Amino acid sequence: MPSLNDSKPTGQAYWRSLDHLADTPEFRVFMHREFPAGASELLDSADRRHFLKIMGASMALAGLGMAGCRRWPQEQIVPYANRPAGRDPGVPVQYATCMELGGAARALLATSHDGRPTKIEGNDRHPAGRGAADIFAQASVLDLYDPDRSRSVLREGKKATWREFTDWASGHFAGLRDSRGHGLAVLAEASSSPSLRAMRRRFVELYPRATWHEYEPLNNDGEVEGARLAFGAPYRTHLDLAHAAVIISLDADFLGVHPDALRHIGDFAAGRRADDAARTMNRLHVFESDFTLTGANADHRSAVRSADIALVAAFFAARILGDEALKRFEEDAAAGRALTTELRRDLEAAVTDLQAHRGSGVLVAGPRQPAQVHLLMHLMNEALGNVGRTVAYTRQPDQPGHAESIHALAGRLEEGTVQTLVMLGGNPVYNAPADLRFVSLLEKAAVTIHLSDYNDETSQWCDWHINRAHYLETWGDGRAWDGTYSVCQPLIEPLFQGKSALELLAALTDDGFATGQSIVQRTFTDMVGGENGPLWRQTLHDGLLAGSAPPKETPAVDRGGLHQATQALFARWSASSGGWEVVFSPHPTLYDGRFANNGWLQEVPDPMTKLTWDTAVLLSPAAAEELGVSRGDMVRIGLADRSIEAAVMIQPGLPARSVILPLGGGRAFEGRICTGAGFDFYRLRTSEMMSFAGGATITKIPGSYELATTQDHHTIDVETVAGRSIQDRLPALFREADLEEYRHHPDFARHRTHVVHRLSLFEEDLPHQAGEGDYAWGMSIDLNACVGCGACIVACQAENNIPIVGKDQVKRGREMHWIRVDRYFKFAERSDKYDPNRVQAVAVQPVVCMHCQNAPCEQVCPVAATVHDKDGLNVMVYNRCIGTRYCSNNCPYKVRRFNYFDYHRRGPLRAQPGRLLQVEDEYFTEKSATPDELKQLQFNPEVTVRMRGVMEKCTYCVQRISRARIVAKNAYAQLPQAEKEKRKDRRIAIEDGAITPACAQTCPARAIVFGDLKDPDSRIAGLRRHERSYEMLEELNVKARTTYLAKLRNPAPGSWDGAGNGAAHEAPAHGNNSQDGGGAEH
Amino acid sequence: MSTQAVDNTLEDPTRRAPLVLNHDDFTSVTEEICRVNESPRPPKAWYVSIAISSMLASLFGVLILYLVFTGVGVWGNMNPVMWGFPIVNFVFWVGIGHAGTLISAILFLFRQKWRTAINRFAEAMTIFAVVCAGTFPGIHIGRVWLAYWLFPIPNQMEMWPQFRSPLLWDVFAVGTYFTVSLLFWYVGMIPDLATLRDRACGKIKAIAYGFFAMGWRGSMRHWHRYERAYLLLAALATPLVLSVHSVVSFDFAVSQLPGWHTTIFPPYFVAGAIFGGFAMVVTLAVPARQWWGLKNFITMRHLENMNKIILLTGSMVGYAYLMEFFIAWYSGSLYEIFAFVNRATGQYAWAYWLMAFCNVAAPQLFWFKRLRRSIPVMFFVVMCVNVGMWFERFVIVVTSLSQDYLGSSWGYFTPTWVDIGMLVGSFGLFLTLFLLFIRYLPVIAMAEVKAIMPQADPHAHGGHGEEVKA
Repeated sequence: MPSLNDSKPTGQAYWRSLDHLADTPEFRVFMHREFPAGASELLDSADRRHFLKIMGASMALAGLGMAGCRRWPQEQIVPYANRPAGRDPGVPVQYATCMELGGAARALLATSHDGRPTKIEGNDRHPAGRGAADIFAQASVLDLYDPDRSRSVLREGKKATWREFTDWASGHFAGLRDSRGHGLAVLAEASSSPSLRAMRRRFVELYPRATWHEYEPLNNDGEVEGARLAFGAPYRTHLDLAHAAVIISLDADFLGVHPDALRHIGDFAAGRRADDAARTMNRLHVFESDFTLTGANADHRSAVRSADIALVAAFFAARILGDEALKRFEEDAAAGRALTTELRRDLEAAVTDLQAHRGSGVLVAGPRQPAQVHLLMHLMNEALGNVGRTVAYTRQPDQPGHAESIHALAGRLEEGTVQTLVMLGGNPVYNAPADLRFVSLLEKAAVTIHLSDYNDETSQWCDWHINRAHYLETWGDGRAWDGTYSVCQPLIEPLFQGKSALELLAALTDDGFATGQSIVQRTFTDMVGGENGPLWRQTLHDGLLAGSAPPKETPAVDRGGLHQATQALFARWSASSGGWEVVFSPHPTLYDGRFANNGWLQEVPDPMTKLTWDTAVLLSPAAAEELGVSRGDMVRIGLADRSIEAAVMIQPGLPARSVILPLGGGRAFEGRICTGAGFDFYRLRTSEMMSFAGGATITKIPGSYELATTQDHHTIDVETVAGRSIQDRLPALFREADLEEYRHHPDFARHRTHVVHRLSLFEEDLPHQAGEGDYAWGMSIDLNACVGCGACIVACQAENNIPIVGKDQVKRGREMHWIRVDRYFKFAERSDKYDPNRVQAVAVQPVVCMHCQNAPCEQVCPVAATVHDKDGLNVMVYNRCIGTRYCSNNCPYKVRRFNYFDYHRRGPLRAQPGRLLQVEDEYFTEKSATPDELKQLQFNPEVTVRMRGVMEKCTYCVQRISRARIVAKNAYAQLPQAEKEKRKDRRIAIEDGAITPACAQTCPARAIVFGDLKDPDSRIAGLRRHERSYEMLEELNVKARTTYLAKLRNPAPGSWDGAGNGAAHEAPAHGNNSQDGGGAEH
Repeated sequence: MSTQAVDNTLEDPTRRAPLVLNHDDFTSVTEEICRVNESPRPPKAWYVSIAISSMLASLFGVLILYLVFTGVGVWGNMNPVMWGFPIVNFVFWVGIGHAGTLISAILFLFRQKWRTAINRFAEAMTIFAVVCAGTFPGIHIGRVWLAYWLFPIPNQMEMWPQFRSPLLWDVFAVGTYFTVSLLFWYVGMIPDLATLRDRACGKIKAIAYGFFAMGWRGSMRHWHRYERAYLLLAALATPLVLSVHSVVSFDFAVSQLPGWHTTIFPPYFVAGAIFGGFAMVVTLAVPARQWWGLKNFITMRHLENMNKIILLTGSMVGYAYLMEFFIAWYSGSLYEIFAFVNRATGQYAWAYWLMAFCNVAAPQLFWFKRLRRSIPVMFFVVMCVNVGMWFERFVIVVTSLSQDYLGSSWGYFTPTWVDIGMLVGSFGLFLTLFLLFIRYLPVIAMAEVKAIMPQADPHAHGGHGEEVKA
């Protein structure tokens, strides 16, 4: 601040402030900005576009409840004299919007805190998610604040402006318009956006000779092609799992990476509740190569090579369709060998099941499978009478497949017929089929324009890079998997003046409607047939247009192509059945690699491998033994004339000679998160073999690589004492029974362990345990519903300002997630030994703080930093914590997390192998005085940002509890006095369901229920009385407030290998019906 | 004053073996002991050792600064193993600090006259070990600058520490122990400090020793008060020997972690502490008596007596190891049984068997008189015990934590270079303090040694007196 003595404006008697007197630049800016942001710009008449933009924004402010659509943090603090209507400072507001991923929109609610989008939740009005959101959508808010995002237009790598681009483009595209688009091509991502489709039509009208291509590395070409074979037209399959009694998956991960996974999980879980009088539930048979989430939830899972799924499908078809031609698979000697006795038994069981449940079964084939498998699936579903009941179809626009489309583009580029290439998103240099050599193709086009979030692998080779606006910054629209229309509504002005694909196309077509909003509104008007303001506002508010989904159809399957298809399938199978098989699989947390620079998604563990920060070659234990490799060893994988080197991760439950290669790692883009994360398997993936291929070679090469997992930090071999011990204690920790046992012994869960005594030497009824407070919070987690997707982990991370810690720290077990999903494999026992190659079942168990009433952590804290509140929460007082970490040592559930460093202030450092003294790299670099400015914008202001040296853990989202309590108390305070006096218990009731912790809110399976145990009518109180309810480690007498509902499995009757038959559950010394020990109190 | 070899370890029931060799009068005793402080140049070994140890002590200091500025993540501590090296080192050093007070107080009350030659530096060792021990809990916490919250200091928030926490008991137990040990050591040193004062040839020395000698003149009244005070302090210190390590063991025993939650811990820890402490006394005594020519005072008989105690306490520790297994099996608890079976066969089996060899097998050599009187064998065994006792704490802390109830949360602890640097650095601090002590303070309690010479009791017969000529 300049000196106050040096007062230049002499003679002026009054100053507005000391700063005015000092006349600082800040003050000048403030004076300039005193009126609402943008007002001063209005005086600049030069910029027409800017004027329009501001007018648009004002309109939004005035009419559409878009008060949050601004960037507040850049302002000086100026208290309102008159508060704008509908705006309570500090009170978060939710707006409906949607996010497109892989050609299907996810309907979302975005929470805005004073103009900053901070959290993404599912839209509870939308039929697909019913309030749930998947990890990609939830983590997308972090992408908005990614410091690595491209911040400007780049021309040949140098900073430019949007204005420069439009100036250049108006000239360049005027020429193209004259040539009617000769030499022009567009490569777009798959999109369901009606506006984009409309813009595409305009574009094609304007440039009729231009070609439009669409490419997604994770596509469903096989599915679409299969529908074309079956119905003669592209149809999309919709599953109704809630009404399915028998579900057969043929390499389909419909609970995992699927655009409609949320609906599937919800329906699947609903079909397994066994709450009806007859206690029925669905049964899932899975035949798959990769161990997916779907496989983890199977009642019967068979590990089958992806190529051999053709045999499995043919086996089913031969029996269900009774077609002789299909039998040739079984008659073939090689195929006979592939169909092992065990597999045949599984298949027979599944066929029997399907035939017993005509009309209530469903077969699902995965997108990885060729069209012919899909044809067989459609035929069988029809033959079994499932169509119209558990399966329905919607018509899709007819367009070439993605592989075909990019292949055509590559051909045109190769010929040199494309001079101008416009890429609307996508990253073909990274993820196009390797045989196309996309980089060299790009050089053949004279002008390349790439719209992208990052200056990524593709942008770096392009003449123009246009920084793309995040979906929270821009207008758009999209259709969910079922076709329901949603508008994508921005919550914030583009942080870096990015543009959406719509806006870029508008610029290229010289559309009068230049803003995303006007384009979207135009589409809407066209769609609903005329201006309809109320309906538009309703759609914006609800986040969806009711009834906009296309009607479900039940087209007849054409059997004509069956024989030809069978032959093609057999030929394909014969070609790919030899040698090692490589299977390219979508990454459960990185998708196709586009989320590789998202710290939350890098750190949320893969649900099955629990691997973070990497992609690795997944091998079965048998294959690893055969190759002589162990976890972290390097291998070379050869496929045709390509080879890559990558590290091995051992994953039980894979077919013996199948190698799973999850895509999405090894990005060449130098983002601070994605650099060095994983291996790039796209380099093996050619247009011929987009999903799987046989005849690969794999050899061990010298070298090793460190992999960071959040569980099994070091391989726990079931042969060791530790490995056996985990298997031995599982029945007590993760209680489960077969449906049959449940029918006979509904309270089986309470008798799984022998509780020796629950008597204590001490007086235990301390006031808080007796329930002195008005409420008694509790949580119940239904293990029978939970599929283990991990959405809760990301929800918690976003809600509670949980930092990411980086690979090096995960390796040390220092991940900070407050909720984790434990995953155990249950191995088959063979002659008194557990066999790591035979996974009998998978147990997934979310673990949060148990909020023990008799909490071991509280007893040992020397400074009383963790204490009980009167409502029974085990609360952590960060201010008081000095970090002795004793509480964590004494926590039997190990749910406490310690801030070893100031994680918010550090970059997510990666290990530098081979360095002895790693001081700089490990602890000092990129450490700043405050968390990154951009990252800070994501923080939830209701939750403390923890400093280093303090312990933290799940709080049951205490901020949400407080919010609900404040609302309830305010409502109570406004009651008339007479009404207040009428209440006998003087308890201010909080409606059941008014509080949902972030994890419960987003759980697509609705497995997590939270509520007040004191309210006998609450859902939680009911669940606590449920016969399957049990307390983990109850023998420790900690009196946990988080309890579980035991898992049920539904193996086929008389099956050889019940995924969880009763015998496997008996822990040593515990009989099935053993009495609770002396002193047990129930 | 000759230094001919005299074997005072022979047991002759008719007469007591002498505890001071080759001395007929008090003057020569004073001369010989004071020489350590008064010689113009200490032995070369002293210079070499203090150079190395002060370097390590500085390393310790630098690492503490690094730790405070960076975060406790510089250590290998991780999620299941929240306590790693710092707490292992703490328990180790507290254990070392046991022998001193045991020798001073308990042996004093039991009238074990042989204690006089070794009690002074055993006590010094105690003080310095507790200094090292006290450092670790202070710096191991996440927010070091708030360590004072562990003390019950009245404050405006009326916030007291949480008295149910064993960590708080630790603060009191170690604090009391340190205070009483320091007082005991200092009070015992007053007559000797006066001797040094009287013999001092420089002014600074005279003033310094004079200040700490508190005006001691050796009058009857002084002696009377002094001996009363010493006796009272000994009585006060005696229960502390048992209580400190019992309380430290509560850190573990009070928790509910399998492998920690064990009722045998208090006696087992105390026995282990005495075991480790005596081993450290022997470790220090062997070179010290060599370099400063104190073999007439710290005789083979002294060393042998200590070795016998090592054999006894080592066997007690071995018994505890076995008993833990028995109780784990007897409990029938899956988790309890696993904790112990896993110790012996799991990922840390190497540490367990190293510990078992060092603490149980190695001391068995002391059953043989020839071996327990051999300096190289003795040195080998006590070094084994030093290593073994550190690993005992490592096994208890790390193996129990790394694999507890839920298999999903298991981990494997790997120390970082900072962990190792701090362990080595704490030895540096300990040795530096010890070497300074040898140089500047009376290493052997002259007044007490004189009291057990036959000359001190001219009328008695058959006391420790006449030298047995071998």
